Amino acid sequence: MKKILILTIALLGLNGCTDLNENVLDEASATGLTDRQAADGNLAPVYARLPDIFLHTNYFAIQEISTDEAILPYRGGTDWGDNGIYLALHQHTQTSTDPNLRATWGLLTQGISRAVTALNTLPTINDSNVKTYIAEARGMQAYYNMMLLDLFGLVFVKNDPQGVSQILRGEEALEYLKSEFLAVEPDLATNVGPGRLTKGGVWGLLARLYLNAAVYRDRYNTQPTLKSEDMDKVIEYSDKIIGSGQYQLVADYFSIFNADNHTNKELIFAVDQRSELNGHNRLAYFSLSGDQFPLPAFPSANGTDGPAITPDFYRTWTAAYAPQDPAGIDPRFYRKNMTIPADSCVAAANVVMDRGILRGQQYGLLRVNGAFTRCGSNYRIGRLFYVTRNRPTLPVSFSEQVDFSVAGSNYNTGYRVLKYEFSPRSQSGRNLGDVDIPIVRLADVYLMRAEAKLRKNNDVAGALADVNAIRAARTFSTPAPALTTLDLDLLLRERGFELYWEMVRRTDLIRFGKFEGKWTEKTDGNPQKRLFPIPQTAIDGASNLPGYLVQNAGY
Amino acid sequence: MIPLLTLSVLTVDAKAPLAVKAGTGYGPSRKVADVTISGRVIDATTGEALAGCNVVVKGTQRGTTTDANGTYRISVPSESSVLVFGFIGFVSQEVRVGNQSTLNVGLKASSSELNQVVVIGYGTTTKKDATGALTTLKSADFNRGIINSPEQLLQGKVAGVNVTSASGEPGGRQNITVRGPGGVRTGSTPLFVLDGIALDNSNTGGNSSSLNPLNFLNPQDIESIDVLKDASATAIYGARGANGVILITTKKGKAGASNLTLSANVGISKIANPIDVFSADEYRRQVVALGGVLDDQKASTDWQREISRKAVTQDYNVGLSGGSDRFTYYGSLSVQNQEGVLKNSQFNRYTGRFNASQKLLDDRLVLDVNLTASQTVNRRPPNESISSASVTVVGAALAANPTYPAYDSTGAPAKYQAFTNPVLTLNLQKDITTINRVVANISPSLKITKDLVYKLNLGVDNASSTRDYQTLASLVPQQDGRLESVYGNNQNVLIENYFTYTRGWGNHNLTALLGHSYQKFSIWERSWSINKFPISPIEPINNAGLGQDLTLANNRPSGSAIENELQSFFSRVNYQYKDRYLLTATVRADGSSKFGANNKYGVFPSFSAGWRLSEEPFLRSGPFSDLKIRAGWGQTGNQEIPSKITQALFTSQVSASTSYPLDASTNYPAGTTYTRLANPNIQWEVSTQTDVGLDFGLFKGALTGTLDYFRKVSGKILLEVIPADPIQPASTYWTNVPDMTITNQGVELGLNYRYASQGGFRLDLGGNITFIKNRVDNSPYSVITSGSASGSGLTSATVNGYVNGQPIGTFFLREYTGIDDKGVSIYRDTDGDGIGGTDKDRIAAGSALPTKQFNFNANASYRGFDLTANFNGVSGNKIYDNTANALFYKARLVKGLNTTPEGIGEAAESINNSAPVSTRFLKDGAFFRLNNLTLGYNLDPRLIGLKQWVSNIRLSATGQNLFVITKYNGYDPEVSTDRTVNGISSYGIDYLSYPKARSFVFGLNITF
Repeated sequence: MKKILILTIALLGLNGCTDLNENVLDEASATGLTDRQAADGNLAPVYARLPDIFLHTNYFAIQEISTDEAILPYRGGTDWGDNGIYLALHQHTQTSTDPNLRATWGLLTQGISRAVTALNTLPTINDSNVKTYIAEARGMQAYYNMMLLDLFGLVFVKNDPQGVSQILRGEEALEYLKSEFLAVEPDLATNVGPGRLTKGGVWGLLARLYLNAAVYRDRYNTQPTLKSEDMDKVIEYSDKIIGSGQYQLVADYFSIFNADNHTNKELIFAVDQRSELNGHNRLAYFSLSGDQFPLPAFPSANGTDGPAITPDFYRTWTAAYAPQDPAGIDPRFYRKNMTIPADSCVAAANVVMDRGILRGQQYGLLRVNGAFTRCGSNYRIGRLFYVTRNRPTLPVSFSEQVDFSVAGSNYNTGYRVLKYEFSPRSQSGRNLGDVDIPIVRLADVYLMRAEAKLRKNNDVAGALADVNAIRAARTFSTPAPALTTLDLDLLLRERGFELYWEMVRRTDLIRFGKFEGKWTEKTDGNPQKRLFPIPQTAIDGASNLPGYLVQNAGY
Repeated sequence: MIPLLTLSVLTVDAKAPLAVKAGTGYGPSRKVADVTISGRVIDATTGEALAGCNVVVKGTQRGTTTDANGTYRISVPSESSVLVFGFIGFVSQEVRVGNQSTLNVGLKASSSELNQVVVIGYGTTTKKDATGALTTLKSADFNRGIINSPEQLLQGKVAGVNVTSASGEPGGRQNITVRGPGGVRTGSTPLFVLDGIALDNSNTGGNSSSLNPLNFLNPQDIESIDVLKDASATAIYGARGANGVILITTKKGKAGASNLTLSANVGISKIANPIDVFSADEYRRQVVALGGVLDDQKASTDWQREISRKAVTQDYNVGLSGGSDRFTYYGSLSVQNQEGVLKNSQFNRYTGRFNASQKLLDDRLVLDVNLTASQTVNRRPPNESISSASVTVVGAALAANPTYPAYDSTGAPAKYQAFTNPVLTLNLQKDITTINRVVANISPSLKITKDLVYKLNLGVDNASSTRDYQTLASLVPQQDGRLESVYGNNQNVLIENYFTYTRGWGNHNLTALLGHSYQKFSIWERSWSINKFPISPIEPINNAGLGQDLTLANNRPSGSAIENELQSFFSRVNYQYKDRYLLTATVRADGSSKFGANNKYGVFPSFSAGWRLSEEPFLRSGPFSDLKIRAGWGQTGNQEIPSKITQALFTSQVSASTSYPLDASTNYPAGTTYTRLANPNIQWEVSTQTDVGLDFGLFKGALTGTLDYFRKVSGKILLEVIPADPIQPASTYWTNVPDMTITNQGVELGLNYRYASQGGFRLDLGGNITFIKNRVDNSPYSVITSGSASGSGLTSATVNGYVNGQPIGTFFLREYTGIDDKGVSIYRDTDGDGIGGTDKDRIAAGSALPTKQFNFNANASYRGFDLTANFNGVSGNKIYDNTANALFYKARLVKGLNTTPEGIGEAAESINNSAPVSTRFLKDGAFFRLNNLTLGYNLDPRLIGLKQWVSNIRLSATGQNLFVITKYNGYDPEVSTDRTVNGISSYGIDYLSYPKARSFVFGLNITF
């Protein structure tokens, strides 16, 4: 009996000494990196969320669909309903639970946090790149904060990863951003762009910051008070970029948005997308029809019948060039790429989409039973119909009118935009594209300088020179005619012509005092909508620190 | 009688008379010829014959059972032999044969089953001595028919327990809660303990939450199910007791009575309530009437019929049991092949079991062994994706244009360019999950002294699974072939040591338990896939090598491995004075590797007391055959928290979201990022429960009942939260939210009435009703959303939202108020911003949790015939009809997609009105169901001349889900499609759920 008792106690003891430490089997924290790997490994994540920030449903949606440049109805009662968020965004009735705002907020704050982590780790690494990397990480921290300031009206100042960020708004936020950009400028490289932040990039961001400074100081004022010194700074930084000789206005407007645009001379700062790593074709596919299949290799890579331009925006083009059609006069409006031979048969390499603003009947690859119709080794091109939307008799013919009515919400309503190339190098069709998405490009710099000249002392001649420099540069086809007069309204129109769908429209409209204007399906005039609501999840998360994260007025 | 805790948790049968007085000798037998004895066994109170009563010659394996008239015949070795008469629910009797040749016996019903043994975890007690809220269900009380898992056996049988099938899919998930859900994200499934092994509730296979991990059990092997409801009962399971504990005990052999039972059941099932979409003729009329373009292909097809069938279920079972005084055994083999009502869906189960008990060392050592091995094979209907719970082919069939012929002139499924024939979809996909599971334990118990017993329990539960998900290549509809396979293994090892001390002196009785438990769970999973199979008669499942495309972009393998340990110390003391004052105290200290370093161990105490008023002299002569007041308080935990969340993780990897090109090279740097922050304070959720109960018996036990009030408050709710400062390496972190509580409060009443006439007519009427309220308080979040809606136009919308002052499962929606003059939906403006229907206008519009559950059952028998009916129902709950939201509205019909009359019911509605998520699609979920009706007949073997070999033949017919009264017009109001968001449980959403069946099952049961 005793033996059994002893045995029992032994058994108890045998399994009674587990310390319950969790044994993690399928994850390991990073160790054993070389200095170079560690340095690269800290900087890369700071940039890494850029393709996601510049996603069709994130920054693109909130900067464009909230303006007259883009409208996204509930397509055919089946597509892009998304619980009404795109209607709300367009009508300025968005709420603090909007998922696209939440996602964008999350990515920007994550970017800042990664910069904080990098800035605390990089100084401990012994690598020749560290000095530049620190400047880039700090510059990116400021850039993400600048986007937060523009969208949500605040910046987060954080240096100690363990601490709590300081929240700044208005003038203080503006001064913080200026000082950060200025602090890093000397240490930035000049030759690592456009994918990374360079001196040129920071000059461009500084010009943009000064241009919008009046808005950032006093967001809800009907007439922001401009400071002449701000305009001087815009001109100063624009001059630095233009004077550097590093960048050039290119002859072929749409080449700026081509898959191979990484070396395009017009790009100063851009999201470096690679088809092997991080790219997407979402900016190309968003607006196209569900029956437009741009890539012969991918019979399931189609458009989504997403946003169209509003008739209001379209009419700024026609009004500018009437009685002529804008397609024939301004190379930025439209480029015809595909010629259809008599037998309608085209080699795969020649299946190239038209670019710019797409109107009327569309032609393209014909998809039957999930495969493209062939003629021998070539592809047949024909009139497109809404086969994928169960409406095989409805032609893919884009109409000017688009709104939230029954007729205006049909699949084919609204003129579409194919500005960014649907990259043929993709390995999966809709994803893994490799177009670099411009953040700052040279034409924008010229236009900023023109605007500063106008705003500072109504230097029409100086401004016209800048605007016409851009127009004249597009010599790939006949350039658009030079402008002869200029005022702020015309300059805003010109920014629309040059920079449409480049995610600057909302910022522009606010600066020009037009964000409370009326356009298709948009009547709201509440200036509080110049800021987006801080996501409710963030407000809830901060509820244990009363007064810390305060919701913007009007939400 | 001393209420001794039976030493083995495996001995469950109250009557088990043979095990009790071990060691009683029987005199030397004289060498004479066998004596034949015959007689009749009746119910001593009613005089009714007892059929199927065991008659055993004590100390031998010789035995028989009584026939339908209660008569028996047996030959015994000598006049000194003793016959033991035993029958469920009756006190067994032993009679010495003597010189009689006829022995008529009247058995006394064991008073209100008060001496029924109940399993309470690490021991047993009797019903009359229990101080906690618990319910025992014996196999005779189980639901019958086609049963996939043990939850179905007790649906509607236990007050406070809500069993809801997620869908009608064979082998599909069952949601079971005991006294309401107590967490937001942790799930609320109770702990299941099988023959002393605590099971892990993790999925056992195939990356799918849609299959029930308990499918592996053969229902016919189950002897009893004990449900521990209040904290005083579950505290012995500490950190796993908060959601209740369900103890499953399998059948054991009985000494002396050798039995061979054969059973065969054949069932026919059909979709019970197809959804009322337009017929072809009506469709033609309506499309034109709405101004749509009619695409009329001249046929008249009922697509729901085309994808469904009359499904056959076959179920065969062989059971063997018997044994001698010192060795008993039970073994079984079973096969269940169940066709789903949707074509190409199937659930097969094969099980084997062997349970044995051996006594050694002068009966001081009892060795119990339980072993079961099973294989389940689920073939599931086409899903959206490998992780989806909704059935796409159902959506395709509901929406398909009914004028298209399903088959072409050759009889093959018709192919169309711009129309996907659902019958084709059905044939192009195969999704098979095979799970092999072995559960075994060996538990020797040793009587160290007269009062002290030591028991060791060694158990292992191993499930290995394969899920193959194949898409066939096809031209029409055009698709590439693909094969994705997921392999998994779940292992659970248990070592327990405990001592039980039992002693009685004078008016005092004491039972004390002290033990240690160690359990380790290891779960791994690996998956891989390959694309571009050619069109070929060879299925990808049979030759994965035919796939032609393998890229990291499309076929990145995945894997995970998790290990958890749980170490516990537990103790329980039961003390009784004068058999009427009862006290129980329990404590368990649980440590888990999942908990943070600062909170490794949690201590879970409970206390309860009972007062058996009916034993008091002043009530002895009263109307009560039994009257007991119980009260208990205790704390239990919920440790179903994800692994690894207490530990920080920073990884270095090349991926789209962590890497970025730093130069022209294509060797991208591995980005080092934090994916999780450490939180060493994370711990279990704590639920504190108070229970006050009353057990009573009236009219000599003819009417019995139980009434309980309970209040369960769950705190330290575990959530993945957003930090106050948004600038954090990881955007969320796990924490136990301080102050937040979830309260479940309610009243349960169970009643049972028994009647037996002199003429042999017996009637049992029973029922239970539960009133329960659930409430969330002090959540720091204005709303915690869950339940993502599905369907075009519904992206990003959520259906459930947990807000303060409202129950879990609340539907948080904008309120639909009708159609305006433009034909567009209007929603109530609740925040007064002048715009109705923004996110800020959402209201708590009811909950998926019923506030009342009611069940009613009746059992009547007369002369070999018996009739059993079970009804169950719920009320106070709502269902979100996401299927209607996604499929049934005017705009869809105009586009040629079929819909229901309800979908176009609003005459003023525009044909382009959108249908966002709103209360428009929120429906009343109350129902009342005749869930089980069985007619059985016990055929007297003598009538067909088989008396010699066969002791009983039973024929039965069972109808399942015969009718359901409900306002809900989806397939079935008992539904919950899993639409979890970020681990926050969803409730009450119906989206393309597998239709529920109505079944008729015919059974034959022969006992030899």
